[in-house]
This record gives sequence, C-alpha cells and structure tokens, in this order.
Amino acid sequence: MMKPPHDMGGDQAPQIVPDKPDEPKFEEAWHRRTLGITIATGAMGAWNIDSSRFARESLPRDDYQSFSYYEKWLGGLTNLLFQRGLISENEIMSGHSDGQADKAWQDKILRADRVKAALAAGASTNRAADEPLFVIGQTVRVKHPADTTQQQPGHTRLPHYIADKTGVIIMHHGGHVLPNANAHFLGEQPENLYAVEFSAVDLWGQGAAPTDRVVVDCWESYLVAI
Amino acid sequence: MPHDHDDGHVHHLLPAEPALRVKALETILVEKGLLDPLAVDAIIAEYEHKIGPHIGAEIVARAWCEPAFKAELLKDSEAVFREAGLAGRQGEHVVVVENTPDVHNLIVCTLCSCYPWPLLGVPPAWYKSDAYRSRAVSKPRQILAEFGIDIPVSQSVKVWDSTAEIRYLVLPMQPEESHGLPAPELAKWVTRNSMIGTGLPARPVGIE
Repeated sequence: MMKPPHDMGGDQAPQIVPDKPDEPKFEEAWHRRTLGITIATGAMGAWNIDSSRFARESLPRDDYQSFSYYEKWLGGLTNLLFQRGLISENEIMSGHSDGQADKAWQDKILRADRVKAALAAGASTNRAADEPLFVIGQTVRVKHPADTTQQQPGHTRLPHYIADKTGVIIMHHGGHVLPNANAHFLGEQPENLYAVEFSAVDLWGQGAAPTDRVVVDCWESYLVAI
Repeated sequence: MPHDHDDGHVHHLLPAEPALRVKALETILVEKGLLDPLAVDAIIAEYEHKIGPHIGAEIVARAWCEPAFKAELLKDSEAVFREAGLAGRQGEHVVVVENTPDVHNLIVCTLCSCYPWPLLGVPPAWYKSDAYRSRAVSKPRQILAEFGIDIPVSQSVKVWDSTAEIRYLVLPMQPEESHGLPAPELAKWVTRNSMIGTGLPARPVGIE
C-alpha cells in the first residue's frame, strides 16, 4: 500500500525558510478566517480532532501535495461538514444555505462570549485504560502502519519511518483516546500511550550522529514486546 | 470538474480562489445558523493578541529562577500547566524537555503540525512546512544549521515527533550572561524558537 502523502517524516525536502522577526502571524485574512471557522464549527461536537486530521489526510494526493496549509484545513472541513450531514452538495455549489440547520445543531454552536473559556478548557484525551503492557526501559518493536488501521483507508498516528523498528519505552503518558478508532467514530478505545526512543542510526543509517535519538509517541497497539 | 461523492469529497465544488472558498463556506454556515461570525472574530482575536510565546517564556524564566518550580515542571509539567490554567486547546498535555550540555531537544510533528498552542500561540509557517516535517526527524543537525545553530558532536540531538496529543516544550539552558536577572527580564531572553529547539535564548535586541 502506498505511503500516504501526509506521512512525510524522513522524506527528501528543500531547505527551511525561517521566518523573520515581526512577521505577521497570518499571511492572509482568509487564513485567520479559516482557523476561526474550523475551531468554531469543531465545538459543535459533530466530529472530533482525529476525524479532522483524517479528513485532511484524505484529500486527494494531488490536492494534499499542492494545497497550502490553510487550504488543507478548508478542504478537510468542507468534506467533514458534508459527510456529517451538516451541509449539502447543493449548498456548496450555490454558496448559500437551502434552509436552517436542525435546531439540535444550532443549539450547540460556539457563541462569542464562550470562546475564551472554550479555548482555555481544551479537550483532554486522557482516559482510563487497561494495565500497561510495557514498562519504562523495555525494548519493543513497532508494527507497520497498515496493521494498525481500523478501516481501509484508515487513520493511524504511526509514521512509516519507525515501522518494524526497535525502540525503548522512555515514558508512559497514561491512557489516551485511540485516534485509529476515534477518527472513524468507532468509539474512543483508550489505550496506554508511551514515548518510544529510537537510535537515529537505526532509523537513518550510519550518516546519522551515533548519539542522536528520535522519540515518537506510540499507542500500545502499535507495539509488540520482544 | 471531477469530484468523488462516494468518498465524501465535495471541496472541489467551492470556488477556485481560496479567499472566495472561505467566504462561501462562511456564508452557508452563517445562513444555516451553524456559525456565529462573532465567535470567529473572538477566536482570531485570542490568537492574534492574547495567546503567544510570551506565555511559554514566562514559564521558562520562572524555571530558571526557581529550582523548586523547575523540579516540579520536569517531574509533572501536565499538572503544573493545569494548575496554572494553561492546559487549553492543543496544550492539554504538555511535557517539558530540558536542554543540557549533553542533549539538545528539537520538536516536530511529521504527520501534520501539532504544536503547544496555549504556550507558544500560532505555529510559524516553517514549522508546518513539508521541509521541516520531512527533515527534522532525519536531518536535525542540518535543520539546526539552517537556523544558525551549530550543535557540537559532544551534544546529542533528540527529536520529539508529536504523534499524539502530548505536546512537547523545550526548556532551553539559561545563558551565562543572564544569571542574576529577575524573571520578567529573563523572559525577554526566551525566544519562541528556543522553546521549539530551533533557536537558543538570546540577549534581547537593544539591551546592553
């Protein structure tokens, strides 16, 4: 199965262009607007952050690779609103509504006077999970991303560059919502989440500095004991 | 215009020009009662004017001044930020990682662009770029050189790929020349990039 375009860790890419001091936070007015609309509509609870990510990842490859950052947000959001039945194809084509949305949704929208509190509250993903399978210091092997998705194509947060690699558990973050399930509205399925440390040489070969490391947060079902 | 409804892809039906795309979507949502445009304004205002790297810088400065606070931060930063009311959207679970003479830390999100918003504000464009997302994990020393930082061979680089909702914040080393300054002054030395790992704390411009 072809590696999806968003999973780009380790790929070849050009030099970074650092920003200059006092560069504006948003290049374009429509960037700001996209950010605000995405956060505001997310507050209705019609989807979750994992579904949002999957919606962006699911954009056609050509779009994903050519869209600017906020274009991806816009594309993902439009598709999510349509998939969740909140806007129709007709409305998208006409640029106007066909009528009022269900009152149930209208009652859930984020109002201006609740914004500060909503942003400050956030949405913790910490949940109770089973007894951890792994302990700090334990060596584990990572599965392949395709073996962790719950539908095809499916969402995973296992980057291809650690697939089949061996690492060491260095932190246990507790139980967290599993994106692989949550993105597809299959329930939260919380699992123990671990920070797993890999040797850069193991990942990239002898060109890497021998003491350099890469740490990746992995859910329990991404890992096997060895 | 080709589109694929079976996969729920309708984004191509919006206008070609992105600014018009946003306008169309906002119009539809407001007309349907699904969006309060004043809420959008309020969200933008929070991130333009209120939430920014000065918040993270104050935490770092305090850690430099107060050994007990630093110890707490390194032991359980999630609890420290929760108690300080700084565990909001995209920063509910922040782990602080300390730079030492042995280790330089660098934070990335290869899969999208996860970033500790409540402490650093809106991520810069380079952080979200394909170039950074691709190369930070595999060529961190090259990336750091592109930012003007030369990491000696004696110091290892540890890259943290933010694949979950855990967000990482670098606690940079305090520059020798800044010792003895009070916390509010020290905070000015703490740059946004030094808390991501692509920079080091620096004497503020205009101060002898």
